[in-house]
Amino acid sequence: MIRRWGPWIALGLVVVIALAVVLWPSGAQSVAARAHDLETEFKCPECQGLSVADSQAPTSRAIRADIKRRIKAGQSDAEIRQAYIDTYGESILLTPQDSGVSLLVWILPIVVLALGATGIVFALRRNRDQPHLHATEADERLVQREQGDG
Amino acid sequence: MKHPARIAALAVALVVIVFGVVLALNVGNDPQEDARQSHLVGKAAPAFDLPNLAGGRITLADVAGKSAIVNFWNSWCTPCREEEPSLQRFYAAHKDDPDFTMIGIVRQDETGDVKAYVNKNGIEWKVALDPGSVAALDFGTRGQPETYAISPSGVVAAAKYGPMSSKELELFLAAARQTA
Repeated sequence: MIRRWGPWIALGLVVVIALAVVLWPSGAQSVAARAHDLETEFKCPECQGLSVADSQAPTSRAIRADIKRRIKAGQSDAEIRQAYIDTYGESILLTPQDSGVSLLVWILPIVVLALGATGIVFALRRNRDQPHLHATEADERLVQREQGDG
Repeated sequence: MKHPARIAALAVALVVIVFGVVLALNVGNDPQEDARQSHLVGKAAPAFDLPNLAGGRITLADVAGKSAIVNFWNSWCTPCREEEPSLQRFYAAHKDDPDFTMIGIVRQDETGDVKAYVNKNGIEWKVALDPGSVAALDFGTRGQPETYAISPSGVVAAAKYGPMSSKELELFLAAARQTA
């Protein structure tokens, strides 16, 4: 029973733990911490490959001030994110969004991983189900005779 | 399940096909291109209320009912200086048009430097100061110069990152006039 369901239970545990780590609420954050988290999500509009948090470009400095102003005004992270996407487009985000076509970027690796795990489970099961043959005395005699002839 | 290996191979093939179709459908979407174009075109222009050089205010309401060219610039930006003769020619050609107005919004600059630049170059159009870059961010600017055409109804008709030629400014004005 355990041999049959063990791999599935292990796979399920890994998925549950991964989801718990990713989705577990992190509690209330300070304005500075929330602002910094958002700053790391946005790309500096006038530089190459730097986040707003890491850039000292004037526009990045202005965005940092604007994010803090929006948080103090009571806007949620999602509202702030959407305001910037509405103005700058999705290219303002350093990481793809988890919706629309961008969702595939997140889902595909999980699907491929699950398929790979399923393939391994099937391969192990097939290997287990195959009959394990043992050499009979007649077989051993045949081998010894062949070796003796050689 | 008679042929698990075949089913797994089929599933992998299916995923690859879906991925391929999605890639094919999105192959024309250049992320760099997305970063170069304004997402405000076709939308209502962001409201602004900024101080001008004379101590008064300039607001979006001031341009209502007119075809407006809004140009973000500052005195230390080299491309802005290169663009300035085109702006001068364009403004001279249209300053008497009753349905036209032009505003220069200055971002990231000192008021004294802006005044000196305006006086030295004889800039006649309205100049607003945006010290906190609030208007610049609302317009989604990525630097300067950047130019926006706003229709009489307050819709962004056209936008460009980078210096404009006189011909491009004419096209922007035509777009503003044609946009409802």
